Amino acid sequence: MNTFEVLQKNLAHLSRTHPRRRAAAVPAMQNLQAELGYLDDMAITKLAQITGLSTTELEELATFYSLIYRRPPGRHVVQICDSVCCNMRGADQLLESAEKYLHRPLGAITPNGALSVLPSICLGLCDKAPAALVDGEALGPLNNASLEALLQRLQKGD
Amino acid sequence: MSTILIDGRTIAFKPGDNILRAALEADVEIPHFCYHAALDSLGACRLCAVEIKPKNSNEAPRLTMACLEPAKEGLEVSVSAAAAQQVRRHVIELLMINHPHDCPICDEGGECHLQEMTVTCGPPYRRYRGRKRTFTNQDLGPLIHHEMNRCITCYRCTRFYQDYALGNDLGAMRLRNEVYFGRFQDGPLESPFAGNLVEICPTGVFTDALFRQRFARAWDLNTAPSICPHCSVGCNTLPGARDGTLRRVRSRTHPELNRWFICDRGRYGHQYSEHCARLLSPRVSGENTSYHKALNAATTRIKATQNCIGGIGSAREDLEGNTMLQALLNEVGGVFTAFNDPALEAATIAAVSWLQNSAGAPSLIEMEQIDAALIIGDLTAHAPMIDLALRQAYRKGAELTLFHSSPTPLAQFTTSAITVPPREMYAKLSHLCTLINALLAGRDISDDPMAVIAKSLIKARQPLLIGTIETLTATDASVLAKLAITLGPNARLTYALSGPNAYGSALLAPEGNAMQILESVETGKIKTLIVAGNDPFSDPRFGLRWRAACRNLNTLIVLDCILTATAEAADILFPVAAWTERGGTFVNYEGRAQSFLPVFHRPEYLPSAADVIADLAKYLECSRQDVLSVLQDTFPDFQVPAPGTLGSPIPVSLPPISDSPSAGSPLLSSNNSTWQTALMSWYGDETLASFAPGLTSLAPATIAMIEQATATATGIVDGSKIRLRGSADSVVLPVQLNQNIAAGTVGIGRNVLVRLGLGHGDPIELEKVL
Repeated sequence: MNTFEVLQKNLAHLSRTHPRRRAAAVPAMQNLQAELGYLDDMAITKLAQITGLSTTELEELATFYSLIYRRPPGRHVVQICDSVCCNMRGADQLLESAEKYLHRPLGAITPNGALSVLPSICLGLCDKAPAALVDGEALGPLNNASLEALLQRLQKGD
Repeated sequence: MSTILIDGRTIAFKPGDNILRAALEADVEIPHFCYHAALDSLGACRLCAVEIKPKNSNEAPRLTMACLEPAKEGLEVSVSAAAAQQVRRHVIELLMINHPHDCPICDEGGECHLQEMTVTCGPPYRRYRGRKRTFTNQDLGPLIHHEMNRCITCYRCTRFYQDYALGNDLGAMRLRNEVYFGRFQDGPLESPFAGNLVEICPTGVFTDALFRQRFARAWDLNTAPSICPHCSVGCNTLPGARDGTLRRVRSRTHPELNRWFICDRGRYGHQYSEHCARLLSPRVSGENTSYHKALNAATTRIKATQNCIGGIGSAREDLEGNTMLQALLNEVGGVFTAFNDPALEAATIAAVSWLQNSAGAPSLIEMEQIDAALIIGDLTAHAPMIDLALRQAYRKGAELTLFHSSPTPLAQFTTSAITVPPREMYAKLSHLCTLINALLAGRDISDDPMAVIAKSLIKARQPLLIGTIETLTATDASVLAKLAITLGPNARLTYALSGPNAYGSALLAPEGNAMQILESVETGKIKTLIVAGNDPFSDPRFGLRWRAACRNLNTLIVLDCILTATAEAADILFPVAAWTERGGTFVNYEGRAQSFLPVFHRPEYLPSAADVIADLAKYLECSRQDVLSVLQDTFPDFQVPAPGTLGSPIPVSLPPISDSPSAGSPLLSSNNSTWQTALMSWYGDETLASFAPGLTSLAPATIAMIEQATATATGIVDGSKIRLRGSADSVVLPVQLNQNIAAGTVGIGRNVLVRLGLGHGDPIELEKVL
């Protein structure tokens, strides 16, 4: 089954819970991302045909949400929150040390494709600040040492 | 009326106003960015901070955004309070952090809202020394230049583009410090109203790409109030010229018509006057000559053919030019018409007559208030700003119904859009009329598929009926008017006419003159034909006949500012001033006369058509030579309104249209087995604008459009080729299948119709090409 058919299958499933096709846009993007890892231009174009939104409207949504990727991420994704609470508890230093440790800017993938580190808008984990989302799992509070250990584990993990 | 106090000044406000709106309407300036009267308040920029004086003296004064605070009786507001000034200073400092400071090379410089606000409210020095955030710009097509680094995130662009004009290919991407206004991918903006971004953007993110090619600073431009010559709406414009060339056109506010906006045809169509093939010298028999020699030649030929003269004015020629031509012809024993197409003449005169014998056409702001509309034809192509007004009605919940023969952008905003072949439009409208009568008489019509439309029009508080005259016949126009009468006094009727002065020219000559002139030229009864601003050779339906007939003429005299097919064939050719180079008067679709002034003059001597005819009258020693007195004689109670004012209704009435339509005008249903044509237009499709290269580069591809089911039944597939045969020629075109075209109809562009010698709704032969 190609990606387009996967999408149609997923949308057929979604239509019961989302009677308005436009409302299915974000869940559809999440579904497609689960299959593809990220959304390329082709995926956005096809989503537009299926949801009835324009490509620009979908791009507005896709680029607004930090959990939707428009570029391929690594096999593991670490999203470090940089909003108010986390920032006050040292998120900026965490992001800096991640860049130093991996020798590459935020968003870049490590050479073996294992890992990418991204900043994120508030994750709602203020009680665990500074917090991160590691492959969808909440983690925190982090410090430089625990972050480096985490990155090392993820890089070697596969 | 209730009032508020702003820094001690008493300001009246209307219920529902916020402080900022009330202040701006009273010409009291409160600094602001994101607020725009058309887009209302958002509170995004935080610049309109004001201080509100507390009611009790023991409370502290409160800072608030003037655009979000409702005006209340007796409210005391301070713009000059120190706290408010400090907020504004900080806001400007923040907005300027990432700004590239490129004012010397920015096209907006000198008329930039950000520049003004920074000078008014901001700190004089820059403290931030860090790296600036930068963006990559997009290619937004030939008309709009994109420079994202100048953005201050006021969201005016997307609020206009998406919320007001209902476009969906410009959006706000990303978030936080990286908000980016652009498209999904590079490419021309699709909305016919995209050019307004240039004016709505308070900085230089969106600038006029054509103006950029021949740029001049705003303070160096000559301007004067003008009227858009590209359709019958009569939007007010402010063209800018420098060094004897026209550089740009902007909108000029008219509170009842276009308000703050114009369409892209009006904004970018002006390039016709700078066209490389623009006529600048009079010609006699193909040779350039002086104005006086050309006048002498014309005088001799007219004198030699006294009483055998015809004259064709134009719906795009002003009231002065048409009236002068008519007066001249009266004196030398000639016949006048303003139309080269007898069917269009009949339809326009019928439309004007019905408008005069009803409550009159609503203005654009009245159209924004209607709650149901029946639209006949492609309004976006024939009167783009009426389309924009109806989009506002749609936003407020109006139910729009559309009867159309070819695809039109307005279809996506309708409750029901029905494709009707041109020859069945009359039957469809008559049927709707019958249904409404039946409903009003209390009969049950619920099994009719059109019952929903009839019900929606009847229950509406104020239904609007609007037709595009170019694709309607006189009988179609009349049945639409009868529909309005049936719906009662609240129903409004209007028509998108065929040119900026179609209404005014229709008042000058009776129906039938066009056919009379054509036949007289064919039989040799007319020996000299004077054509002012018209192009009979390029008429889709009658062009072929005009071309053949004009071979019988002794002399073809043409006055025009563009090199049309007729102008190329002229024996004596007078180049005339373009609309921005002369003064005159247009009568718009409402019957509102609006005058305009010359914006600039070229080095060449280019008189207006009225001036050329006045000079001809002098050379011919006619008794009526003065434009103003001729205008006064023709329209006795009419005072030409001053340019820059709101205009005034033209006090002339046409007799009511009789019930029996004149012969030849109705387009009735034909045999179903034959194909018929439908004119496929787009918003740049207009005679003058077709000489504007920037705009025409966006014209859709030349294809033949056919409805899916008809195509399947006849074995035509998408992308295959078909041969179309008309009375003049045959052409082979690629086929595009589309749901939004009427069954049994071939949608083709104006150029192809002209080549085939067919009009909208004419039968056409079609065969597959293997």
